[in-house]
Amino acid sequence: MLTLILFNLTNGIILGLFYVLMALGVSLILNLSNVINFAHGNFLALGGYFAFSLAPYLGYWGAFIVAPILIGVLGLIVEQTMIKRVYARPHVYSLLLTFGLSFIIQDMCRTIWGVNGLPLSIPNALNSPLSNQFFFLTGYRIFLVAVVIVAVAALFAFLGFTRVGTRIRAGTFDLDTVSALGINIGLLRALNFALGIGLAGLAGVLAGGQIGLNPNMGDNLVLPSFIAIIVGGIGSLTGTLVGGLVIGVASALTSVWWSAGSNVVMYILMVVILVARPRGIMGEEGMMT
Amino acid sequence: MSLLQIRGVSKAFGSLIAVNNVTLDIEPGELRAVIGPNGAGKTTFFNLITGFFPPTSGQILLDGKDITRATAVERIRMGMARTFQITQIFPELTTRENIQIAAETAMGFRLRTWLSRAERAAVSSRIEETLVAARLTEQADRLVGELSHGDQRSAEIAMALALKPRILLLDEPTAGMGEQETFQVAGLIRRLHKHTGYTIMLVEHDMRVVFNLADRIVVLTEGTMLAEGTPREIADNPAVQAAYLGTAE
Amino acid sequence: MSTTTAPQTAVAAAPGQRWLHLVAIWAFLIAAPLWMGHIGGYDALYSRILIFGLAAMGLNLLLGFTGMMSFGHAAYFGLGAYGAGFVLRYWIHSTPLAILCGILLGTVFGVIFGALMMRRTGIYFAMLTIAFSQICYYFAYSWNSVTGGYDGLRGFTRAPLHFGSYVIDIRDNGLVFYYFVLAIFFVCTALMGALLRSPLGRTMIALRENPQRARFLGIPNEQHVWIAFAISTLFTSVAGALYALLNNFADPTALYYVISGNIVIMAVLGGMLNFWGPLLGAAVFVWLEDYISSQTVNWMSFIGVIFVVVVLFFPRGLLGFVKRRSA
Repeated sequence: MLTLILFNLTNGIILGLFYVLMALGVSLILNLSNVINFAHGNFLALGGYFAFSLAPYLGYWGAFIVAPILIGVLGLIVEQTMIKRVYARPHVYSLLLTFGLSFIIQDMCRTIWGVNGLPLSIPNALNSPLSNQFFFLTGYRIFLVAVVIVAVAALFAFLGFTRVGTRIRAGTFDLDTVSALGINIGLLRALNFALGIGLAGLAGVLAGGQIGLNPNMGDNLVLPSFIAIIVGGIGSLTGTLVGGLVIGVASALTSVWWSAGSNVVMYILMVVILVARPRGIMGEEGMMT
Repeated sequence: MSLLQIRGVSKAFGSLIAVNNVTLDIEPGELRAVIGPNGAGKTTFFNLITGFFPPTSGQILLDGKDITRATAVERIRMGMARTFQITQIFPELTTRENIQIAAETAMGFRLRTWLSRAERAAVSSRIEETLVAARLTEQADRLVGELSHGDQRSAEIAMALALKPRILLLDEPTAGMGEQETFQVAGLIRRLHKHTGYTIMLVEHDMRVVFNLADRIVVLTEGTMLAEGTPREIADNPAVQAAYLGTAE
Repeated sequence: MSTTTAPQTAVAAAPGQRWLHLVAIWAFLIAAPLWMGHIGGYDALYSRILIFGLAAMGLNLLLGFTGMMSFGHAAYFGLGAYGAGFVLRYWIHSTPLAILCGILLGTVFGVIFGALMMRRTGIYFAMLTIAFSQICYYFAYSWNSVTGGYDGLRGFTRAPLHFGSYVIDIRDNGLVFYYFVLAIFFVCTALMGALLRSPLGRTMIALRENPQRARFLGIPNEQHVWIAFAISTLFTSVAGALYALLNNFADPTALYYVISGNIVIMAVLGGMLNFWGPLLGAAVFVWLEDYISSQTVNWMSFIGVIFVVVVLFFPRGLLGFVKRRSA
């Protein structure tokens, strides 16, 4: 029984970490640019496929580093050519735009890499379980946890201590004032968008090693990441982090006793939070109106 | 009894005290102006009265009833109507439709999907009456977003009138307007006050408007009430001259 | 959306002109099946256009007229479909009852979810609509024993209509079914048109134009957003119920967020400031989708490109410059 709980808990934490990586990217873009990025899951898939195609030339580690960066650059291009043109328009347009992009990218993945799943091979060193009793604690999973922790810490350090990061946070809070200070909002949003998309790319590389690659692999992660943002509190990046972990662990623990309940508990959590504490766990009151 | 009583009202945003312990009474039929230099807390004060946000301390009474914690919508039902410093209208609707929405809401029809012939007639006559009062009959069927600034302001005031308020609250009604338009709007306010007997409180930056219109003037500086009196008294008050007239204008 | 350059006459068409437009639209809809076969149409396609047109017009009460962004209307469309399906599959072989129960199921959830969302505005409101629609999708997908899960609810057919001894066979005759859908479409658009010309409808437009102004005229924004949302979900669930009757099944894809996106793009493509815009958008979109998916395996890219092109180049939609506010 203990093993079962630990097994599920580990799965939950892993899943929660994917939610966190996804949700942080979505949240960054939502907070600064007021855009809900429907295509986020497709950028994730693209990240995995990029790594798959780069690995033969660069090796796993090379691909691991380069793929997320390329995805970030792609995000930058998409932002500069399309997304930035709808910032000033009603929200419906940015939603439709990312929705359309999600279709296009998904179809691209399907056409280039095929509808069937592909494996993203990981180095043997990461592949073996640490012990026989805890067979689910593979080296890869520990690696995955470590990478996510480092990435999240780096993100928060970037936002907290660098000049650009501080400006992004300030822009989230009050864009007009930041603009009035003579800061280039367009550039800030572009960098921020690329950063968010890059996180999706990283999540894709990691997910590829865990669950394999397929054109829809991001779909199951996008909507939970929205829920993580709502639960954590819209407008708060720390809230998103907490929200992602909470729903990940809650789903996993539920599935110990009720395997189909893992999604249900996520939704129940969201509704309970909305009724009891409308701004979410960490959200600011002002952000909701 | 005073129509509107404001008792020791303060508002703090964090450590910034925007409005500090203001007390004043407005009598029925009075036209009261609140003036002060930029940043004196005029608009905050105005927002406290109209229910944009609650005061940190103090009490506001309308007709003797405590409305300190009442929502904006509740206050409007009790007889308040307001305009905004930046004109707030429904730009893609006609002047008539703008006024119609106000009239139907005030007459309790806002949730109705069907009106009887008599009810429709009542709405129309209130619309016509309001259009005439605001001198907007000519502009009735034009999009309000296409009108001149002066007419847009008149339309906004007309929407407030269509509510048949007990007290009309105007936030810098001539802000950002040229000579001609200022004259037009000031004329409208004067007519409403002198001929129709509306109780009006307005916040204003433009001194000429205020001295010609108001029965009594309140001067705010740094959130505190500096002086209160007739236009003459205010003009002669050395403290006001020093704090406001000498520096701001 | 600036109107300063829009010519006066485009704003409020004269009453005579309005009747002329209405007559033209209805004449077209009634005659369409009689000649459109020549350009590749078929009965089920016309019905599908009307059904999605109705769904998009329902959504547009919220999107175009109240100014609130819902990206989750698939939920109410799909609930309408399942509601109708449940009746036919488990209870009674009656088309009117199926439609009524579809409307009921969709609208009840619209009312409940609307209550949880009504205080939010802008992008956050949109975000919640997405999340709630996903709940519905999830339940339809996983509650196998009732909904049929992934395969959907099957094994029912729409029932012919009985008026005493007179029977209208909407089951086996696709053309007759089209006119049945058209009749319901007529009732719905008449109701929507009347709503928009009523005091309640005007408060919705007031919210779109300027929520703060509306509040300070005494219109409690939240309550009116809630009502507008509920009414909007009602019409979308009528469309959903008809969709189940058209297909003779209800499956989870009817609730999937892809449908939400499709309904929104129809409204925008046609012109969301125009009462009939969403119908035109539905006609173009449904027809294109039908054609493209029969021509290429890469249809998803084409659909995606339609979204991108509309957003970037035709944001006001096909009827964007004809700005009549109601029927």
